[in-house]
Amino acid sequence: MIQGSANPHGHSQLQTLLPRESLLWIFAAQLAVLLPHFAHLPLWLLGAWTVAVYWRLEVYRGRREIPGRLVKLLAVSLAVLGLVLTYRRWFALEPMVALLAVSFTLKNIELVSRRDALLSLMLAYFLAATLFVFEQTIPYALYGMLCVVLITAALAAQQGKGSARPGRALGLSAKLLAQAVPVMLLLFVVMPRLGPLWAVPQNSAKASTGISDSMSPGDFSELSKSDKPALRISFDGPLPPPEQRYWRGLVYTHFDGRRWSEPDLEQYYASWRRGRGRSQGVSGAAESEQTLPAVGPRYRYQVIQEASHSPWLFSLARPHSETEGVSATGDDTLVYRMPVASRLAYDVRSWPRESLARDEPLSAAEERRHLQLPGSGNPEARAWAQARLAEGMGAEQISTALLDLYHRNFTYTLRPPALGRDSVDEFLFSTRQGFCEHFASSYVFTMRAAGVPARVVAGYQGGEWVEQQEYLLVRQYDAHAWAEIWLPGRGWVRVDPTAAVAPERIRDGLQTAAAEEFMQDALLPLHKIALVTRLRLQWDMINYRWYQTVVSFDRERQEGLLTRLLGEVSPLRLALLLGLPVLLALAALLLWLHLSSRGPALPTVSRLYLRFCRRMARAGFARNPGEAPGDYARRIEREVPRLGPMARQITLAYERAAYGDSGSSAAAERQLRRLLRGFWPRRRARPTSVQSV
Amino acid sequence: MQKIISAIVADIGKVLLGKEHQVKLALACLLARGHLLIEDLPGMGKTTLAHALAQVLGLSYKRVQFTSDMLPADILGVSIFERESGQFRFHEGPVFSQLLLADEINRSSPKTQSALLEAMEERQVSIDGETRPLPEPFFVIATQNPLQQSGTFVLPESQLDRFLMRISLGYPTREAERALFQGVDPRAQLAQLKPRINSEGLKKLQSLVGQVKASDSLLDYLERLVQHSRHSPECAVGLSPRGALALLHAARAWALIHNRGHLLPEDLQAVLPAVAGHRLQTDGGDGAQLVERMMHQVDIIAA
Repeated sequence: MIQGSANPHGHSQLQTLLPRESLLWIFAAQLAVLLPHFAHLPLWLLGAWTVAVYWRLEVYRGRREIPGRLVKLLAVSLAVLGLVLTYRRWFALEPMVALLAVSFTLKNIELVSRRDALLSLMLAYFLAATLFVFEQTIPYALYGMLCVVLITAALAAQQGKGSARPGRALGLSAKLLAQAVPVMLLLFVVMPRLGPLWAVPQNSAKASTGISDSMSPGDFSELSKSDKPALRISFDGPLPPPEQRYWRGLVYTHFDGRRWSEPDLEQYYASWRRGRGRSQGVSGAAESEQTLPAVGPRYRYQVIQEASHSPWLFSLARPHSETEGVSATGDDTLVYRMPVASRLAYDVRSWPRESLARDEPLSAAEERRHLQLPGSGNPEARAWAQARLAEGMGAEQISTALLDLYHRNFTYTLRPPALGRDSVDEFLFSTRQGFCEHFASSYVFTMRAAGVPARVVAGYQGGEWVEQQEYLLVRQYDAHAWAEIWLPGRGWVRVDPTAAVAPERIRDGLQTAAAEEFMQDALLPLHKIALVTRLRLQWDMINYRWYQTVVSFDRERQEGLLTRLLGEVSPLRLALLLGLPVLLALAALLLWLHLSSRGPALPTVSRLYLRFCRRMARAGFARNPGEAPGDYARRIEREVPRLGPMARQITLAYERAAYGDSGSSAAAERQLRRLLRGFWPRRRARPTSVQSV
Repeated sequence: MQKIISAIVADIGKVLLGKEHQVKLALACLLARGHLLIEDLPGMGKTTLAHALAQVLGLSYKRVQFTSDMLPADILGVSIFERESGQFRFHEGPVFSQLLLADEINRSSPKTQSALLEAMEERQVSIDGETRPLPEPFFVIATQNPLQQSGTFVLPESQLDRFLMRISLGYPTREAERALFQGVDPRAQLAQLKPRINSEGLKKLQSLVGQVKASDSLLDYLERLVQHSRHSPECAVGLSPRGALALLHAARAWALIHNRGHLLPEDLQAVLPAVAGHRLQTDGGDGAQLVERMMHQVDIIAA
């Protein structure tokens, strides 16, 4: 922006003053582009923009001068200071966008020449594009289009001479963009998808939504208040029955008396980021390099996960994914190489657990990990477990007894009473009301107390079919926690204590299981209106298809599509695909131009006379465009006397037919035809001057 | 009828040697009821041409030498109070004649110029609230010196447009000039010229001009010419509809002079420089060259 002020009075076209009336267009385009960004940009930027625009408008109205160098310097320093104070981390996405917005804002106070306007509008295009780094949904896409229309209209308004009139500018803009649509579609399909050259870290301070890396009482009931989508899963082949739809995300092995967590996660991530941990699972998972079983997978499916700002992914048990960046952990779950900051799609194959039954026992370290209990607390639960052991029960029998206990005396509720210090004891022996996490937590605690390796698994359970089972929509309120116990000879076995209390929760989902309490805190109980629910599902489906076809169109899909289109992706075929439509379009344009420029068809006599002219031209006597037929005939008579009489007759016939009385023109035309039939002038043998030598 | 026309051309040719084309153009202009502007240096025969035309066509002829201190009344006439009758009587100015030679029109002030030009356009004069028609036929031949000469007022474009044609006579050919040296005084020749036609005959000839047929093909060509003048980057201002009509009408008169009942492209081309030359405006260049190029570029048969 310093550069622009250096030479405001040059004489090139770019340096000329911008058309006055186009100023409002520029501001409109800027506002349109900035508006969605204010959701995550600091608010003082809006103020700065308003001040800058106000100042420029005052200049427009002639009340103020364009600010001098000192004021501009002050403005820049203030803006930079603001950025520094607002953002601690400099090389992240949001500060960069903010910087862009600031430069854009400050440019307004020196918006003088056409060049400044162009610069500002080009920046606007760029800023409009950065919108998609944050959001790629349909409303944003539509808004992005609106922005582009406005910016282009503002550009069109720069031409001056009334081009800033709303109808003209918008019309031109719409026309230009409509013409650009085919090119856009073509480029969308064929443009090589380059990986990012460098990744700008997104703001990871953003609160993660969904399941967190630890579980304490109350977490899941919070989640049950949200009906935001979490996963969308489409199947290729058989579908799992409803009671098998456990989307495993996280495994918690550490209990501190209140909170379940996975202490090794942080460490795991640290090693992952350094690039070493690709194949290493969560600590102790020595056999993480599992060979895939020989039996085919039972389920093949694609999961589209909403941004969760945490790295774990969700899948059925025994998953394997070949999507880039996804790897398996030793705990039978999938993780991504970084927190999922925007929608992520991954393909998974899952095997049934039975097919992988392992005979080898848990390693000592694993066993220690899965038997960990805090040193003290919850004595009653421990005593209960010891009592069962003393009765000589095996692991499965203890589990059955515990589940039986749940089944007889417990209530499933979204609003459990608060628990004190010994949360497991209080839950098991006094309140007996709880949500899935209470059941899972107390179950695993008790099993561990009884010496059975056990762990809490958090994830989602269930889901809602959308549009004839096209995909399964899993919402945040489907979040669930359950347990897994280790049985010798069978390996890890899933046990869902919630199912013992509220089987309908597993079968039909939360809405049925907690009918009264479900979404009670929602501002508007929209979920109770069937039409709204259906519309929301429809909208979700549209979003899903949008994501499937547009947003997730990555390199693999591109190659797939091109292979389907071309058979085989070779440079030649790609060039054909690119060039052919362009060539066709150009040919069509050429044809159209030709047809539209030809004007009305020539009358027959003129065509006949032109035939005569062509034959004469072949014989070496071309007619000049502006040469009248009579003059032409006289010239022929003068220069080639042997053709003279014939040329004169033809010309006379033509003149009578084309210019003479309408009565005789038909006869003259016939005469012209007849004369032409026998007129085939031969090429001049040689210039006469040569012959005479 | 044709005999009369060739006799007229031949008679004037005796006085104005070697200028047959210009004589025909002047005649065509008169037959098309237009006014003629002759732009040339002094002594090229402008006055002789006007005088000869008047003589041969049997028209009443007046000549006004324009000067810078001339007033409109000097041309149009003035009402004078006559003591004997105790009334105002209108004394007709030189404009009340059938053929008026306005010599060096660009020497007078714009006020006077426009008084004449208005009379030319309306073919009537309004003085003291009374409208007086000018005689029929009414034909003005104005001459003007090339503009770079000193003491001239440039005729504005809108007034140039009032003239159907603008021609210049140019120097005579060598033979014609030799004949001039050897021959008798043109003044004496002029005096011997007899009228070949009367006013009635002239009016009849003028009405014949409108009957010359213009075919579709020819109108296409005319349209192409006009469009070219409007869209060509060389022309600052193209031919107006009035200019196009003038071109058509002049060409008809030209065809009539050449004894044809229909128009040929040659007719348009023959009158084009005279009719369009002063109507086309270029960015500094000469309209005549522009017309020349236009004639070469625009195809006669097809676009």
